[in-house]
Amino acid sequence: MPPKPAPAAAAPSSAVQTLWKAYNEQTSDRLKFIDAFLVFLMFSGIVQFAYCVLITTFPYNAFLSGFGSTVGQFVLTASLRSQVNPENKNEFKEVSPERAFADFALGSIVLHFFVFNFLG
Amino acid sequence: MLSFCTFVLFFLSLSGLLHAKSSDGDSVLVVVEEAHKKDFTIFFDSLKEQGYELTFRAPKDETPVVAEHDVPSFAHIIILASESKNFAKDITPQSLVELLSGGTNLLLALSTKQTALSSLAAEFSLILPPPSTPLVSFFPERKDPLTVIPVPAPASSLILSPKLAPVWFSGAPHALGNNPFLVPILRAPAESFAADTDSGADALVDATEKGGEGFWAGSQLSVATGFQALGGARVTWVGGVDLFSDKFAKKEVSKGVKSGNTQFARDVAAWTFQESLVLRIDSTTHHLANTTTPLEQYTTNDNIEFSAHISRFNPKKSTWEPYSGIKDMQLEFTMLDPHIRTALLPVPGSPGKYSVTFRAPDRHGVFKFVIDYKRKGWTHLHSSTTVALVPPRHDGYPRFLSAAWPYYAGAISTSVGFFLFSAAWLAGESREKKAKAKAQ
Repeated sequence: MPPKPAPAAAAPSSAVQTLWKAYNEQTSDRLKFIDAFLVFLMFSGIVQFAYCVLITTFPYNAFLSGFGSTVGQFVLTASLRSQVNPENKNEFKEVSPERAFADFALGSIVLHFFVFNFLG
Repeated sequence: MLSFCTFVLFFLSLSGLLHAKSSDGDSVLVVVEEAHKKDFTIFFDSLKEQGYELTFRAPKDETPVVAEHDVPSFAHIIILASESKNFAKDITPQSLVELLSGGTNLLLALSTKQTALSSLAAEFSLILPPPSTPLVSFFPERKDPLTVIPVPAPASSLILSPKLAPVWFSGAPHALGNNPFLVPILRAPAESFAADTDSGADALVDATEKGGEGFWAGSQLSVATGFQALGGARVTWVGGVDLFSDKFAKKEVSKGVKSGNTQFARDVAAWTFQESLVLRIDSTTHHLANTTTPLEQYTTNDNIEFSAHISRFNPKKSTWEPYSGIKDMQLEFTMLDPHIRTALLPVPGSPGKYSVTFRAPDRHGVFKFVIDYKRKGWTHLHSSTTVALVPPRHDGYPRFLSAAWPYYAGAISTSVGFFLFSAAWLAGESREKKAKAKAQ
């Protein structure tokens, strides 16, 4: 007896749909906003890396700073996300969301300082 | 005191009147046997006419010496005593070579006899036939002895005057080695050969039996050959002293046609004594293209303009005149090897100036601009200027390249994104507080 292809194909798509639905319903707006920023940074990094691989690495310092800024910003934003997520409250007992954002902002400003120094 | 000044002035005006024809000096030492001095009056008179000061000396005389305290006493030396076995102790092959490297020009006549000069000739890559074998020719048919030969002048020659009548020659020929500094002046006629005068035609028969081996014949032989030393001094070897004699100068080649000997002697002396084909580099400059000041160091990939000013000596006016006639000169930009070798061509419109603009190699180090121009007959030109070629300074590289715009856009968009993100985050926080306040 041949397997029925329809349920097999439907199962992953329904799993993605379930995941997407659960994400939409259970994630707070703040975390969604952070995720949107993370996705933007990821695409920006992919585009720069593809340009470097496919077209030119010259000038290399500009690539390093451009790509590094997206990676660094991604790391900082990801750590902000984990610190402000209510589910991780037990992990970061002594870090309030305000303190997390202040760390994030200071880290980002230092990162951008180095990036723009290295860019030209 | 006054009389001394007038004396000096008199001498200055006198030296002005005498035309200094050579670019190298006017003093000539002629080494000739007292008895043969009168045989060469036409040659000596033509030299005096040109403004040379001749000093005569017999081969065995001790004075005047050729060099005092290692300083050459004369600008040029003519040795017409080719038959002399013994010279005074200051005229030896060694001392002549030393004079030559000191810049003294030599005009030397060889003979069929084995002398000190013939062993010196071997050092200049001239290969002489065995002793007592003069140049012999049966052609053209003539009443003269077999060893007295009219040698036709080459059709085109840098050194000799154009349309020179055949030159009477009697003496030993020489073959030329492969020394690059040799300048052939007059080749032997194609029908001539070196042989014992007694045997004559027998030598031909012997040579034919041997398959021509060891036979000195044909136009590969030379009867007059120049040599220009690295220092620029010139030597001319002539196979027989009679070429300069009055007898050959007056002898007719054919009915009504005077021989070319007088003019030939004049041309050879002019070349040997640095009158003709004398060049010099007056100055060289280098600078960035579109600027005028020379730099001590250039940056890799700079466009550099190099120019040289070259003069040629004009014996008629005894002045140096700008010369733009060199078409095959090259400039090398060298660090151990030439990294760039390019044509250095005359600039139209500015006489004597040769210029080229080229891009420096993408390689840093200590480089030299080198001109090394060696052509047979002409003065060798050499010039070398050292400059440093350095990589660009830290701020010398190009910035904000168009190729890097994706990276700039990425960095800027990240910053802008961060700024908007922070603003929205803070705004959201205050809105939440308000909402909380309302709820309470």
